Parts: sequence; structure tokens; C-alpha cells
Amino acid sequence: MANQYVDIETLKFLLYKVQGLQDVLDQERYADYDRESVDLLLNSVKDFSDKELFPYFKEMDEKPAHFKDGEIVVHPQVTKYMKAGGEMGLIAGSFPYENGGMQLPAMVAHSSAFIQDAANNHMPGYIGLTVGAAELITHFANEALNDTYVPNMLTGQWGGTMCLTEPQAGSSLSDIVTSATPDGDHYKIHGQKIFISGGDYQGAENIVHLVLARIKGAPAGTKGISLFVVPKNRPTDGGLESNDVTTVADFQKMGQKGYCTTHLFFGDKEDCQGWLVGEANQGLKYMFLMMNGARIGVGRGAAAIATAAYQASLNYANERPQGRQLQSSGKKDANQEQTLIINHPDVRRMLLLQKAVSEGSLSLILLTAKYHDLSIASADADEREKYRLLLEIMTPVVKTYPSEMGKIAVDNGVQVLGGYGFCSDYILQQYLRDIRIFAIYEGTTGIQSQDLLGRKVTMDNGKALQLLSEEIQSSIKAAMAHESLAPYAKKLGGKLALTQEVLQSLMGFAMKGDYQRFLADATPFMEFFSNIVMAWLWLDIAREAQNALVTGSTENSTDFYESKIHTMEFYFKYELPKTTGLAEILMDKQALTLNTDKKVFA
Amino acid sequence: MKILVCISNVPDTTSKINFTDGDTKFDTNGVQFVINPNDEFGLTRAMWFKEKQGATVHVANVGGPTTEPTIRKALAIGADEAIRVNAEPTDGFFVAQQLAEVVKNGGYDLVIAGRESIDYNGGMVPGILATLLDMNFVNTCISLEVDGNNATAMREIDGGKEKISTSLPLVIGGQKGLVEESDLRIPNMRGIMMARKKALNVIEPVDAAKATQDAKFEKPAAKGAVKLVDNVDDLINLLHNEAKAI
Ligand SMILES: Cc1cc2nc3c(=O)[nH]c(=O)nc-3n(C[C@H](O)[C@H](O)[C@H](O)COP(=O)(O)OP(=O)(O)OC[C@H]3O[C@@H](n4cnc5c(N)ncnc54)[C@H](O)[C@@H]3O)c2cc1C
Repeated sequence: MANQYVDIETLKFLLYKVQGLQDVLDQERYADYDRESVDLLLNSVKDFSDKELFPYFKEMDEKPAHFKDGEIVVHPQVTKYMKAGGEMGLIAGSFPYENGGMQLPAMVAHSSAFIQDAANNHMPGYIGLTVGAAELITHFANEALNDTYVPNMLTGQWGGTMCLTEPQAGSSLSDIVTSATPDGDHYKIHGQKIFISGGDYQGAENIVHLVLARIKGAPAGTKGISLFVVPKNRPTDGGLESNDVTTVADFQKMGQKGYCTTHLFFGDKEDCQGWLVGEANQGLKYMFLMMNGARIGVGRGAAAIATAAYQASLNYANERPQGRQLQSSGKKDANQEQTLIINHPDVRRMLLLQKAVSEGSLSLILLTAKYHDLSIASADADEREKYRLLLEIMTPVVKTYPSEMGKIAVDNGVQVLGGYGFCSDYILQQYLRDIRIFAIYEGTTGIQSQDLLGRKVTMDNGKALQLLSEEIQSSIKAAMAHESLAPYAKKLGGKLALTQEVLQSLMGFAMKGDYQRFLADATPFMEFFSNIVMAWLWLDIAREAQNALVTGSTENSTDFYESKIHTMEFYFKYELPKTTGLAEILMDKQALTLNTDKKVFA
Repeated sequence: MKILVCISNVPDTTSKINFTDGDTKFDTNGVQFVINPNDEFGLTRAMWFKEKQGATVHVANVGGPTTEPTIRKALAIGADEAIRVNAEPTDGFFVAQQLAEVVKNGGYDLVIAGRESIDYNGGMVPGILATLLDMNFVNTCISLEVDGNNATAMREIDGGKEKISTSLPLVIGGQKGLVEESDLRIPNMRGIMMARKKALNVIEPVDAAKATQDAKFEKPAAKGAVKLVDNVDDLINLLHNEAKAI
């Protein structure tokens, strides 16, 4: 098993240089950090991941989490990771000082989590969900709930989950039926939740579930959903007592097998107590306010797996001899020694695709995290609003592009290994199985795409889209200053114009009130839009590399910078042109998927 | 007890190593630097003395400003203060003379250096340092206990171990065994934040001469492509005739 799962040099180049962490560290909120401390932190997380995460990656796949005697058995490393993660500060890191946190910028927190995801993607979710659940409490719950739950969560003693999904309510959360009945200072909770990640595991002293439920008599639909803290064990004066939360199953999956996915019953014995978070009927709103971070997290996980898979297949391609290179005569010399497969153009193409997707995705994640930081920490209110809108429009993209293109990248990684790619002795097949979930949970690609086209593109009269295109325009302008980059910058400019055309065509349907037609091709639109966003990000990466070459920076080697420029060129040749075909699809007036009369599946 | 841990700033062993200037100079471009592993074992043992016996722990390094991230790491792990002697560590004689000055001025009871650094593997510093300071010296030290002024140390010797009783002030050349790899500490976030606020005193070097010159470095021969063989006979043949390993 190749042991290089992440490229720290590229991570640091993207973090410090391309996406400019310093802009965030310059904000007063982050005054306690400088590059040296961030560097030290990332190195520590790498050491930690080498020791606590990567060695268990294969084993967690081979010995999946499973249900036994009313409990979920997980790999013993899970509880160790939660405790060690708590001690390291990985859980508390991004919380404000007043909550006992370290006020870490999101850019740094995501970089740290990226390293962990790449080392072993079965594990960081346990911490990620604990962070998400604790964040909901610190943001919206009263002081008593904060005092009771948050400190133990931040140390990793107690885990946390997000309980949204029910058998009849997956993508459609308005159909949630779990009920909450007022009972003194709390509510009685009754219902079931499925697919709950980290929902229960041996060795966890307590699990704090953040549950969406409907208070008796609440309005139908999303307007009647409230949020509750429902612990597995409720704290009493004398310690902890069972809170009637029963684990009935652990879903067996094709990937992420070490990360348990549970089926939970609340109130089987009518003794499950829940405490309302914030105000009644605001549950979904609270949940979605916290979703931006979680969605960056999902995209980050996919980008990390694509990165690890790229490293593993690159390593293999550098060692596997097979076949001979074609000579200029078109012949091969059978007496010649076999060449390494990395010398075959088709293998190089597959490797470059992986590099373009994985490094580009990481840059996307860091950029979105930067918007998140500046939307909180900018001194100026207008700036905060600007970055909030940019964050909003980028959120569905950052969730979806790494998940969708990441799985294609990993698939190419498997292909690089040939037959060995399909065999369990090599790790590529595990990455391929693991990455498949990312386009599904935390809102499927279909749902994210509707969010992008139906809400984000049009929000505030298109303000978010306008701000994003201004950002892209300013990159184009800056790239024009380099003669070698100007043709690419121009190409990207052309794609912006094409985006306008596509949107005008689609908006026509919305104007006519035909929303079904407007959103019918939301997913191809996502593919089109995110492809162009990625071209922008690669142009920025190439510009930074070109600047470094021109100024003779020695922070990274010349080969390193040139490889970034080369990958940008690859992206513009092999990926960006796909938008032309997508635009054709999107502007075609035929509505083939809308017709439910014809027996198309006969 | 006042302890000085001498730390050397060395390239991570996973870094790609290149030389410049006609193979007389190490190319540091893109290389990740870390605390020398032998020193890290010592530092971790020093942290034990701090936590269990109330010792004060300082770290010292001879090096330019670029070594500060490595020194900060030692502070993040838990050292109380750091000293950087602002000079390139040109050879073992030079470094030992600088460190001797730091020890004299700081009044340390115990000086923990590494048996050798993993970059140049000189292995000279602790011995010269003990000589210059006229302190007791235990090299290749694999365990150390201190009780008042008395110290008990264990040394690795060919095929066995040697137990030594000695007294402070003492210099040791430490290595793995002082603590195990699993005892090494990864700085946590709080430690990293606190390290930013701890003193890192930069002092200028004293006059001292270097005693050796680097004439040339040579890298080991490059690794060839992997050869896949179908049977044991072919393997034996290759090992015998090509690799000349058997
Ligand atoms: C491993 C795993 C872990 C999970 N972890 C959690 C967790 O911790 N907490 C939690 O609450 N949930 C969790 N989930 C649930 C997850 O979020 C849902 O599975 C997901 O939102 C999809 O819901 P569904 O499975 O019911 O699919 P469905 O909603 O039935 O979707 C099926 C298909 O129909 C499409 N579709 C559905 N509605 C529409 C529409 N209106 N327009 C267009 N297309 C549509 C979808 O895109 C999808 O392709 C997890 C799921 C898995 C598999």
C-alpha cells in the first residue's frame, strides 16, 4: 500500500499562495495566527494522521462497522481517534474562544481535515458530525443546553449526530413525521431516523443527536419542523441515564464501511426526552444555516479521496514496466526493455485528469472556506455581505464538483493500475467504493443542482452570480498580464459569455412560470457551471505559478511550478471544451425528460 | 533541575535530497525540516522530567532564522524557553563551542543532545560539548533516571547494554530508548498557540573556528525500474548475477 496519501507541498501552495490565507489572517478575529503556527499545525495533523488514521484505513474496510446485540461495533480506533482528536484540538479548533475553542479560520480547519480525510476517510466524519452538532447548539440553543452538552463534545468524550432522514423523507425533508409532544421543560420525542452517520458506537459514553421533528399541531411542510437535542443518555444529577434511543440496525454499504450508518428509534418506550433548540418551527432554517460548512466538508472529503487515489496510481505508474514506447517510425522495438507505464500518453492523460480534478477541487474548497471566513470576520459589513453571497453560490458547487468529478478521477486511477486496480491487494478499488457516497449524502447532486440553478443563481436578483462573475473577470484581467496565459484567459472570457447565453435561454422558462422545465436540466447545468468555475481556479493556480517563475521564487521547485501550469493547459484542452456540448444540451428546446405520458421505459 | 535540550534542524527523511555548487552544498529548496529524531527522543524524556520532577526545560539550536519553525515545534511540545544561536552550523566543533557558551551562561544541570544528527551523522557535538564544559558524559544513552544529584543511565553497547551511575552536571548523547517512538508527542493546537507566546531568545555566536571542510557529497546510485520475475530460479539468477547480492 502506497504510503503517500496527500501532497502537503501542493496543499500549502494553494492555501498560502493561490487562495491567500494571509487575507484571512489579517482580520482581527484571527490575529493570534500566523503562517508559522499554521504550518506547525498542518505538520502536526499530518503526523497525527500518519499515526492514528492511515494505518487503519484498509482494516476499517475489511472489518466493517456492524450491529451486534443491540449495539454497533466499530473499529476500536474510532474511540481512540475521538479522544486523541479532542486532545489535539481537532474538535474544538474552529469554535470561538468563548466556547472553549481556538477560533481557527475555516481555511485552516478544512486544510487540517483534508489531510485526515485523505489518510482515512472512514474516520473524520465522527469528529465532523460532533462539530456540526455542537455548532448547532452553540449558535441556537440556550445556555443550559450549551453548558450541559458542548464541553463534553469538544473534548471528544461525547459524539454528535445530525438526524434528518426518515424512511419517507430523504431529499424531501418536508415529509418528516418524527413527533415532539410538550412535556414540562422538555418534549417527548417519537419516531425513527435512518442512515444516521456515527449514530451509535461501542465505547462512546454518550451521543448527542440533533433531531428534526414536528411539534404536535405544527404547520405542514418545512415551516413546521423544529430542532431538538436528544441525547442517547440524558444527564441527571447522578450521572447519565438511558433516554430511550434504540439502535436497531447498521446499514451495510459498498464503501466507507468503518463509518457506521445507523437506524435509530426514538421513544420506543415513550420515554425519550428532547430539548428544543431555539424557537419552534425554525429547525430546518437552523440546520441550513449550518449546512454551508458541512457541504464544504463533503466536497473536501471527496477531493481528499481523489488526491489519495491519484498519489497511489502515480506511484504505481512510476514503477510498473509494460510495453514499449512507439518510435517515430511507428514501430516498437521488442528487444528494448519495457518502458514504465507513466511514459504512455494514455496513462499520462489519466494521471493528469486526476491531478487536475484533485488539486483543482482542493483549491475550490480553500476558496469557499475563505469566503466563509471573510463573511464572518471582515471588518466591513458590505464586505461580509459580499462574501456571504459568494459563499452561498459556491456551496452547491463545492459539494458537487469534487464528488462527481472525484469519482471519475478515482475511476481513472483504477484504470491506471489495469487488472491490479480491480484487485483487493491494491487500494484503488477501496477509494472507488468509498468516494461513491459523496454525491448522495448531504443533498444529492440532483438536489444541489436545483439549489444552484433554482435558488443561488437567481438569489437577490442575481447578485451572487454577478459578484462571482466579477471575481472571475478580475482573474482574467490579471492573467492577461502574462503573455503565455493570455490565450487561456480569453478562452475563459468566452465561456463567461456562453454562461450568459445559457442562462438567458433557461430563464425564459422561469419567466413563463414553467419552473419544471427551468429546473429539468439542473444537473447538466451544474456540470456546465462547475466546469467553468474550475477553469477559473486553474487559471489562478497557473498565474500564481507563473508569477513565482518570473520572480524566481525558490519556495517550491521550478518543476513544481511548471507542473501546475501544465495541468492548467491540460484542463483547458481536455475538460473546458466539454462545456460547448453541455451548452448545446442546455439550450436545446426539446423537453425529453419531462414527458411522462409516453411510455419511454416500456 | 534545569535541562537544556540541544536540537538540530534536519531534513525530513522523506524529502528528495539534491546537492548544488559542484556537489559541495546541500540544496534546501522544497525540503521539509524537522527536529532531529535523536534529539526528539531526548526532548520527550525531558518533558517527562518536567512533568514528573518539576524540571525546567530549555531548548537550544545553532542555526539561521529558517530553523525557528523547528524550535517552535519544541516549544509547542512543551519546552519552556528557547535559545537560537544565530549562526550557520558549519561543523561539529563550531556547534559544540556555541552550545558550551549557552550552557555556561544558563547554568544547566543536565544537557541532553542527540547521539548524532541524521543529516551529516557527525556524532561529535555531545562529546566535544562535555569536554569543553568538563561535565560527565554518557553517549548512546538509552535510558536516564535522575534522583537528586545522582543519575543512572543505560548505554547501548555491542550486543548488550551497560548500566552507568554518574552525577550531575551531565551531558548525554541520547537516542531511541530514552523514550519509544510511540511516546513521541505531536504538538496539539493549544500547545502551538502557547508556543507563539513563549520566549525564543536569539543570541549572536561567540568567536569559534570550524575544524573541517566539506570536499564533496555523493548520492547513492539511483534506483532502477522494478523487474517482475515469474519464478524463483529467475529471481536467484538475477540476485546472483545482476544484483550480486547472493
Ligand atoms: C452512508 C450514508 C450516510 C448518511 N448520513 C446521514 C446522516 O448522518 N444524517 C441524515 O439525516 N441523513 C444521512 N443520510 C441520508 C442522505 O442524506 C439521503 O440518503 C439523501 O439525502 C437522499 O435521500 P434518499 O436516500 O431518501 O433518496 P431519495 O430522496 O429517494 O432520492 C432518490 C433519487 O431521486 C432524486 N430526487 C429525489 N427528489 C428529487 C426532486 N425533488 N427532484 C429531483 N430529483 C429528486 C435524488 O436526487 C436521487 O437521485 C446518509 C445516507 C447514506 C447512504
